[in-house]
Amino acid sequence: MVLVVLDHDGSKLRKSALEGVTRGRKLAEVLGGDVVGLLIGPGADAVAEEAKDYVSKVYTVTGADFETYTAEKWAKAAQAAAAAAGAKAVVAPASRTGRSWTPRLAYKLDAALLEDTLDSWAEGDKVFATKYSFLNRVLEKQAAGLPAVISVKPNTTPLAEPAGAGTVEPLSVELGELERKVEVLEKIVESGGKVSLTEADVVVTGGRGMGSAEAFGMIEEFADLLGGAVGATRAVIDAGWRPYSEQIGQTGKTVQPTIYFALALSGAVQHQAGMNKSKVVVAVNKDPDAPIFKESDYGVVGDIHQVLPAMIEEVKKLKSA
Amino acid sequence: MKYVAIIRQVPDGESKIKVEGGQVDLSGTTMILDQMDEYAVEEIIRLKEQHDGEAVVVAFGPERTEEAMRTALAMGADRGVLITAAGYVDPITQAAALAKVLAEEAPDVVFTGGQQADWDSQALGAATAEALGWPVITWTTAFELEDGKAKATHDLDEGAEVVRVELPAVFTAQQGLNEPRYPTLPGIMKAKKKEIKKIDAAELGVGGSKVEIVEQRIMELERKGKVIDGTKEPAAAAAELVKLLHEEAKVL
Repeated sequence: MVLVVLDHDGSKLRKSALEGVTRGRKLAEVLGGDVVGLLIGPGADAVAEEAKDYVSKVYTVTGADFETYTAEKWAKAAQAAAAAAGAKAVVAPASRTGRSWTPRLAYKLDAALLEDTLDSWAEGDKVFATKYSFLNRVLEKQAAGLPAVISVKPNTTPLAEPAGAGTVEPLSVELGELERKVEVLEKIVESGGKVSLTEADVVVTGGRGMGSAEAFGMIEEFADLLGGAVGATRAVIDAGWRPYSEQIGQTGKTVQPTIYFALALSGAVQHQAGMNKSKVVVAVNKDPDAPIFKESDYGVVGDIHQVLPAMIEEVKKLKSA
Repeated sequence: MKYVAIIRQVPDGESKIKVEGGQVDLSGTTMILDQMDEYAVEEIIRLKEQHDGEAVVVAFGPERTEEAMRTALAMGADRGVLITAAGYVDPITQAAALAKVLAEEAPDVVFTGGQQADWDSQALGAATAEALGWPVITWTTAFELEDGKAKATHDLDEGAEVVRVELPAVFTAQQGLNEPRYPTLPGIMKAKKKEIKKIDAAELGVGGSKVEIVEQRIMELERKGKVIDGTKEPAAAAAELVKLLHEEAKVL
């Protein structure tokens, strides 16, 4: 039996949930048993109607205790579902929150943790996974025994297709003392971010060469046009032009979009660590010797304030053609 | 109060790494205190400066980790505890060992880096918290002590939130939490005399690694590197770029 913890936004499954189902099915082919799902938090009951087409059973954990996320509560819910299902492997998204509760779960289950994996599979009673390490510069293959907790790096896995109607089973999870030690006082909504940066197919990142916070208006316009998300370099965050949540790099977020625009940034290792697995990289920089050109598929040497508005016009033309 | 930073020694991001026989070989690579852990060390030193108490650095790693620990002591931490073990040990297993040392140290606040620059892991803080039965707050950008509890701001998948946490608790640090100080010369001199207690991981009765690294290889960047000169005619260069993305790369 394989348990897949399904991420959702309260009304529908996230893309990462369908990536997780694909991984779960692949593991179950060898480990045996069904693939079951778990939905936690507000909206789980509604989303279960969609989710039951992908797994044989959907556990839901809802109620006042699960209105807000904490790593302790989510790990507890996943532990309960894993026990109910008799799961040998648990698959979860390698989102920020996913990566904060899965280590707790692994410890609770005395399981191996395979983290932020690109692919995963079972052979006999062992599980294998590939992942990046050393700031995304090394590709490594890991092996572990069962049970195992596997987190799935976003945008690495084909989305699962529906496979027929499963059942829904609400699961009651009692919180202990530990799960009541964190109290959420206030939510801070991310500015701008219409598309989740780590799941976006298109990321448009601006560097210090943008010159000002105001110049990011152009970046936002371009990202919106492409249905993408805005990123920023560490220098931009340090200058206070953009929020920390948009930082791409070693000390920020790691993205792997289909197309990554590196605009007016030089291409430091710190930045590369967050984007070097993007499918196609496009750079615009006024310095022809900027390292970013060597890390890019396509580049334009020129003034961002002239080139980017022209790119916006060209994409508009392409869209209306 | 007592504050602990869990640190690691990792390759300098700007330093070359190589692979020998299917495993990363770090000989000849410049090793540093993980930059993410610098935020953790800075935070516990600040807490000590503001509220008194003791700032202790704890690590699990090979003998050479002592160098990174000396850096943390030079920044201003009081003493160190190093659990020594050679080779790869996964974070869940490390957490079990660290928890034994931390249970004895009994700190109020534990900080560690949000992500490790060698294994690219984010698990150590959360797993250590679980091993101790303490809460964890990841990706912390603001922290203060308030009436015996901690008030912290931290990032979620989207947006952020402010939480109040009962202590003891584990927090993972990231950029924005503080500006790590550089060790001063007197600080470096003092650090040489500060105590580092070493404990062999085997003495803690912790099992072997649950995860084995089967093979590693360097990822070569394979980029086309096509560059268009847009210095004289930016509009034409932009048009050519969009055409290439549409027709050749087929991504637009």
